[in-house]
Amino acid sequence: MGLDYQTVLWNSHKKKYDLWIAIGVFLYLLTFIGITILTNPETTAETLIIRAFGTLAIALLHIVLLIGPLSRLNSRFLPLLYNRRHLGVSMFLAALIHGAFSIIQFHTLGNTNAFYALFTSNLEYDSLTNFPFQVLGFFALIILFLMAATSHDFWLKNLSPKIWKGLHMMVYVAYAFVLLHVFLGALQQQPSLWSISILSIGFIVIASLHLKAALQESKIDKQTAIKVEDGWEFVCTVDEIPEDRAKIFIVQKERIAIFKYENKLSAISNVCKHQGGPLGEGKVIDGCVTCPWHGYQYLPANGQSPPPFTEKIATYRLKKIANEIYVHPEGLAEGTAIEPIAL
Amino acid sequence: MELLIQLFLGFLGIYTVIGVLFALYFFFKGAFALDPLIEESKWTVRLLLIPGAIGLWPLLLFKIINKSRTSL
Ligand code: HEM
Ligand code: FES
Repeated sequence: MGLDYQTVLWNSHKKKYDLWIAIGVFLYLLTFIGITILTNPETTAETLIIRAFGTLAIALLHIVLLIGPLSRLNSRFLPLLYNRRHLGVSMFLAALIHGAFSIIQFHTLGNTNAFYALFTSNLEYDSLTNFPFQVLGFFALIILFLMAATSHDFWLKNLSPKIWKGLHMMVYVAYAFVLLHVFLGALQQQPSLWSISILSIGFIVIASLHLKAALQESKIDKQTAIKVEDGWEFVCTVDEIPEDRAKIFIVQKERIAIFKYENKLSAISNVCKHQGGPLGEGKVIDGCVTCPWHGYQYLPANGQSPPPFTEKIATYRLKKIANEIYVHPEGLAEGTAIEPIAL
Repeated sequence: MELLIQLFLGFLGIYTVIGVLFALYFFFKGAFALDPLIEESKWTVRLLLIPGAIGLWPLLLFKIINKSRTSL
């Protein structure tokens, strides 16, 4: 979607979120540096930068990984999902500063190539506890680089959804590398119960939220319509759908989303034309259903992207009897207008 | 092990050097060949594409060659 590409997609919302990211990063660095100077005054500036940005990067990585499942479990977190991209790039930049300063600090003193030194200063590749942890950070940084470098809409469109998605799913591999990097680093340098327990708690929270979101999804998949009246299936009552949002149902094995907006009801396919994002988890913004993954928009009454865009999805007929909503399981052709049900 | 590391880093270095050269080509020409929409976009967009072009040059090269073949 898009007639031309913007360098950076900024609207007033995104600017506000980016400002919050900047303020958060600034406060974090200030606090970290302040506490370190107070408790450990002999720390050198380089070490301070390495530690401040390393911990900042892993904190941001946790937030990035939590936003996905959180917004599936509770739509209040959706605005975060729409703005996740800049958070991811900030995380990479923080990790890059950390990695670059580490290489300068630890590997540029000798007369061997710094990268060669990074890989060979510790050669215990067959050891579990003494494994060269910096190498793990290096590989994580390469993955994060590829993700940040391809975060622009241009790549989303031109790399093909499959490759792009695959590349960005690598964030979990990067996370595993970073976990091991920090874990082994802490073990080898100065075993600190603190960092190990914070990391473990972070891991447990991330894993359990992902699990919970997946369970909730499979529950939606299993539910079946309760009663059928001459082809129409009962799905839910009007007040079960929150304003400007949708509920997702399965009718005849297709996922559909029923939206409530401006005192009207409309049903469309739940599957975004872009990369199959769950439209029913998005909200209605400026009269358009907005995909939670990358923000493609569709008019709820006809399933068409507002001009000049041309994406179209299937629409579904609805019927309201008293307070109960019924849907006709046969979808209409993509982009077919259906008069919304007035409430 | 050292040999393996040398091979790997050598590969990474060559990959990156070719990537930088390819990114220059991509900035001035390749991006247009891949996606006509680029013409209507500012040059700063292409500036932002440079890191991606360095990292993914084999894939992009393949895509551009494929595209020019099918449009012949
Ligand atoms: C080229 C890549 C990297 C190198 C050379 C590197 C190097 C290092 C070194 C030397 C330390 C120990 C610092 C100390 O104890 O004073 C460290 C710790 C750490 N690293 Fe990395 N790292 C890299 C990538 C990353 C990445 C990608 C992340 C996270 C996204 C990360 C997060 C951390 C964290 C959280 C710590 C523990 C906090 C600290 O002690 O600084 N590192 N790294
Ligand atoms: S899946 Fe990308 S916008 Fe919907």
